[in-house]
Amino acid sequence: MNNALDYSKKHGIAIITILLFILLALTTDGFFTERNLRNILDQQSTILIAASFMTIVIISGNFDISVSSIFVVSPLFALLVENATGNIFLALIAGIGIGLAMGAFNAIVVTYFKVNSFIATLATSFMFFGLGYLISDRSLMRPMGDAYQQIARTKFFDITSATWLALVVVIIASIILTRTRFGRNVFATGGNQEAARLAGVNVSRVQAATFILLGGASALAGIVSSSRSMSAQPSDDFSFVFAVLTAVIVGGTSIAGGKGAIWRTVAAAFFLAFMSNGFNLNQIDPLWQRIILGLVIVIAVAIDSWSQRKNV
Amino acid sequence: MEKSNSNSNTLVSFEKVNKSFGATNALIKCSVSFEAGKIHALVGENGAGKSTLGKLILGVHSHDSGIIKVDGNEVFLSSPRDAVKHGLVGISQELSLLPDRTVVDNIAIGRETTIGPFVSSKKTLEKVLAVMEEYGLFIDPTKLVGSLSVADQQKVEILRALNTNARLIVFDEPTARLASHQADQLHDLVRSLAKSGTAVVYISHFLEEVLKISDTISLLRNGEKVRTDSTSKETKNSLIEGMTGRDVGNLFPNKPTIDPTSEVLLRVRNLTRENEFKDISFEIKKGEILGIAGLVGSGRSELAHAIYGNRAPDSGSIELYGKEFIIKDVAHSIKNGMAMVPESRRDQGLLLERSLLENTSLPYLEKFTSWIYGLNKEEEYSEVDESCKTTMIKHSGLEKEVQYLSGGNQQKVLFARAAMNKPKLLIADEPTRGVDIGAKQVIYELISQLSKVGEAVLLISSEVEEIIGVAHRTLVMSRGKVVAELKGSQITKSAIMEAAFKQD
Repeated sequence: MNNALDYSKKHGIAIITILLFILLALTTDGFFTERNLRNILDQQSTILIAASFMTIVIISGNFDISVSSIFVVSPLFALLVENATGNIFLALIAGIGIGLAMGAFNAIVVTYFKVNSFIATLATSFMFFGLGYLISDRSLMRPMGDAYQQIARTKFFDITSATWLALVVVIIASIILTRTRFGRNVFATGGNQEAARLAGVNVSRVQAATFILLGGASALAGIVSSSRSMSAQPSDDFSFVFAVLTAVIVGGTSIAGGKGAIWRTVAAAFFLAFMSNGFNLNQIDPLWQRIILGLVIVIAVAIDSWSQRKNV
Repeated sequence: MEKSNSNSNTLVSFEKVNKSFGATNALIKCSVSFEAGKIHALVGENGAGKSTLGKLILGVHSHDSGIIKVDGNEVFLSSPRDAVKHGLVGISQELSLLPDRTVVDNIAIGRETTIGPFVSSKKTLEKVLAVMEEYGLFIDPTKLVGSLSVADQQKVEILRALNTNARLIVFDEPTARLASHQADQLHDLVRSLAKSGTAVVYISHFLEEVLKISDTISLLRNGEKVRTDSTSKETKNSLIEGMTGRDVGNLFPNKPTIDPTSEVLLRVRNLTRENEFKDISFEIKKGEILGIAGLVGSGRSELAHAIYGNRAPDSGSIELYGKEFIIKDVAHSIKNGMAMVPESRRDQGLLLERSLLENTSLPYLEKFTSWIYGLNKEEEYSEVDESCKTTMIKHSGLEKEVQYLSGGNQQKVLFARAAMNKPKLLIADEPTRGVDIGAKQVIYELISQLSKVGEAVLLISSEVEEIIGVAHRTLVMSRGKVVAELKGSQITKSAIMEAAFKQD
């Protein structure tokens, strides 16, 4: 008798996303067009890349605020290398490399010095943002050649490489989380750290790996974004990480750790994208868009904690 | 049914009360009443409904149907606050105190004496001291609760209840975490509470304890009340039969014999860890079940964790199969054939929100992993399934979350996990804590099976009967040292207790 309820609880976010899609397709002109949908896919690619690995970090019981700063700094470093060598492969490697390094720095602060991950990554965010100003000499950076924009803008089957990259990252992250020993250890670490330790899981190593992976993913997202706009600029802008966190949390991945899934994050990212696209197409005042977005987050989290209470 | 409702001393009465959680009927048409000045015990296996009954009295849960009366008037208790208004208070198994606040703050919480909008520390303290005086229960009010022993923390909680002018106190497994002399003190306190007119509802697994202190016993089974009788009419056997609905016969299997020529599996030499245990030396043969008795806090669990690689010892060494074993980390110990059933299955053992499958295979995933294909789930599934069968876990699917299993079955999951590795040495720390008699029987059988196939078991337990019934030999620890070693018929309750409490 509880099966229907259980099913909707488990797949709620996917069902709601599909319903919203159908609703918009039926009611809103210009939504269900190839061009609009391709645009949505392209726009969501950077968020999906970072959010996939953010999901893993959160399941393991941590938080990473520094995603924004890595998103800002990595393309600056990539462009520095591109400007010096003209080689976009070197630029990519450098950009992702510095992202991994920043992730490793987070990992050390959290797992070795045992600083709460929220505070640790807030602190490292400032350091990384500062690094961005250093690398760029406080100015806008542009690629030397046209090749750099190929990273995000090349089209295969009419779909941008940014979208394809996001797809590949999502699939890799899902495989890591659901089909590997590491993935199981991530769930164990976030679900019950002491139990995981007594079962022989190297908890620190697992957590460290999640931060490093997210560092690399955030860097890739930053490079894709800069390739799309053909520029990168140092800033102190935290907005990217909040977009990423919103997708993960609305998806229902528990901020207490131990529970969640990448497909949930993907569904939520599209739910949020459809919503905002629907608002724009219906010309709803951005002021109201924010208020409604905030409300949706509150509702999503409230449903999550309500359903958990019912379980006990 | 009882004629109890007409009794003028009746404080709280239940009439055909139902309560369900989802599809589970936790309490079915339960009628029972609690009288002022009486100690009324609730007994039953896990899941029988005794804690649910307690929580309905306290307003933690609200009843679905039926009638609850307080002082003869029907009430609906929708929150603990409602219950407190009627003078119904609980002392829970997991204490609900603020460890970083003082004793007086904890006792007076929510009932501080105020002058205008401000709390008067002086008057609050005076009131708390008056309550302490009244019941002869003194604890330094300026101390931080976190620095107190479990027994004293429990007293703080009792004082808190008394400070709210409690008329009925529900004790839910109050002695589960106490040493026996502390339990005796608690019993005295409970008796004196009843004498002063408080109604006491006493929920406990320990039947001897229940028989010793209660006036009335209500027996529950599968959510239904079997009977309420005066304690003088019950015996341990009548209670066990009533709880399980069958005669359990002998709880303990016959001890397997150890081959006298069998080799030493584990040798511990002078193992020391500061402030935890000192200079511990012993050995276990293949097929031997070695008990470690002693009070909570005597260093038993700490020793186990050191051998298991979870905490490095400061000095000393251990040998496995005659070869020196370097303690590195848990993963290394597991690889070398150790397995542990930790003390607290909720805090240290299980991932409650993950599946039975994932919980069982967690330490041994490497076995099912290849670099190219990742996890081989079919292989994993079949091995876990087999292990769950041998440990007789009752479940409705390996993919179901373990939080939905009963306590006894959850405990068996930890044994299923250990059995996956075919361990050479099993360290079982309080393996039957909080499980019902049926599950206990299975667990003792499992331990005895392991011993029969030549595996060594280190059994840590606070239940003396368990040590007597299962172990071939036992060490008794006190204050971090081994104070006695008892073999065969030397293992008796009095010998263990004497050693555990010996002052040096």
